[in-house]
Amino acid sequence: MDPERIVAFERRITDGIVSEQDQFRELIEAYALGALDPGERVALEAHLAAGCSECAKALEEARFLVSQLAYLAPPAEPSDMLKARLMQKVRAEAAVGRPATAKTRGALIPYWLWAGVAALLLLSIYSTWDARKLQQEVQEVNARAAAERNKREQLEQELTLAKHEAWILTDPTTKKIDILPNDKEMPRLEAMWHPELGIYITGQRMPMPKEHKVLQLWLIPKSGGKPMPSHVFWPDANGKITEMVDDPPEVMAQTKALAITEEPAGGSLQPTSTPLWVGGVS
Amino acid sequence: MISKYGEGASSDATLVDRLLRRDVSAFEELYDRHSRIVYALVVRILEQAPTAEEVVQDVFLQLWRNAARYQSARGPFVPWLLTLARNRALDNLRLKSERQRRREDQTDELPAIAQAPEYEKALDEKRRAERVRSLIGTLSASQKKAIEMAYFEGLSHSEIAIALQEPLGTVKSWIRNGLLRLKEGLQTAS
Repeated sequence: MDPERIVAFERRITDGIVSEQDQFRELIEAYALGALDPGERVALEAHLAAGCSECAKALEEARFLVSQLAYLAPPAEPSDMLKARLMQKVRAEAAVGRPATAKTRGALIPYWLWAGVAALLLLSIYSTWDARKLQQEVQEVNARAAAERNKREQLEQELTLAKHEAWILTDPTTKKIDILPNDKEMPRLEAMWHPELGIYITGQRMPMPKEHKVLQLWLIPKSGGKPMPSHVFWPDANGKITEMVDDPPEVMAQTKALAITEEPAGGSLQPTSTPLWVGGVS
Repeated sequence: MISKYGEGASSDATLVDRLLRRDVSAFEELYDRHSRIVYALVVRILEQAPTAEEVVQDVFLQLWRNAARYQSARGPFVPWLLTLARNRALDNLRLKSERQRRREDQTDELPAIAQAPEYEKALDEKRRAERVRSLIGTLSASQKKAIEMAYFEGLSHSEIAIALQEPLGTVKSWIRNGLLRLKEGLQTAS
């Protein structure tokens, strides 16, 4: 995807639209409640990770507010047995940490020498333990930092994808294409084709392709040439399809129809079966 | 010092600090103060007393073992404890229903600590609880239902919309407007 096209498109849509900041601010209370759907949650978390102080402050207040909903629960009393079991565990764990009672001192060696030896031994053990602990902590911090970087990159990618999908769905230049099944028992698919951002395909209750097979999108050119291969995809565990084709091999104006076939895993250069779904573009 | 728990009683923050020194009496005091509301919340979510007791035990053991993770300087203790309890109860509900859930916090992590807004300082816990119960009655039936489904069942906007057979935007408005009304009501009370 050409970054300049995206920037130019962004500039065109910012006029007259509610600011992105306002949109994120409106999600804060639902986020604190845990009620956001995945797309909005990912987008908001990326926004918070970018360091929006206004939203961070609002989130602190919202978290507190949500915690107060606990008082809506009807009154109830735990059993005495619960407290008894709990206190037994806690006392047992507390007792493990208590120091041992003093033992009899050695008869021939002075007490002060024993104390000195014990102190040196403890210092030596502590230094070794401390060094190992520090090394382990450094490793853990590095691992956490790497994990956080990966997570942030993934969130940024998901946010970019979510943005593109939102733009495609709302832009007036987007064309809606119904992709109809040959078998009437099968569900319909829908494609939203934006001339600059690509094709966004959705479907529900889709059956899984046969073993070692995938679904593949084809663009049928108006010129009468061979079908042009595009993305391969498959439904998720819930039978849902949301596929973003940001690099279709042909422009919309030159495309007669979209078709979907079942192909071997990895896709094919030419269709190896008859289309299961077809949608006219023009 | 006269605290809300009686003259000379220690604050929650002081008791949590004593947990760091493995003070069992401090733990017992915290349990006696807050086990009822924690249990009431958990049993409301799980609707089964034996399972609720297991979760409540788990919550308080987490408190005992991770007291250092709670920093009293950052926010009040009870909201943090209630958030921990809700998270654990919803985790248990998730395991039983085998559905995917989204929550603000990760399953195995302790919740973030919320800084107290101004109205928290003006209303003590008991009055705030009474105020919340009173305010929820001023919401529309739809707002109340949607908020309760999100809070006690851990449902998302979409799931609530499907369950109530209402448009997604409507459910989002119910929840947001209902929570904002609760917030305004608590600020007004202070």
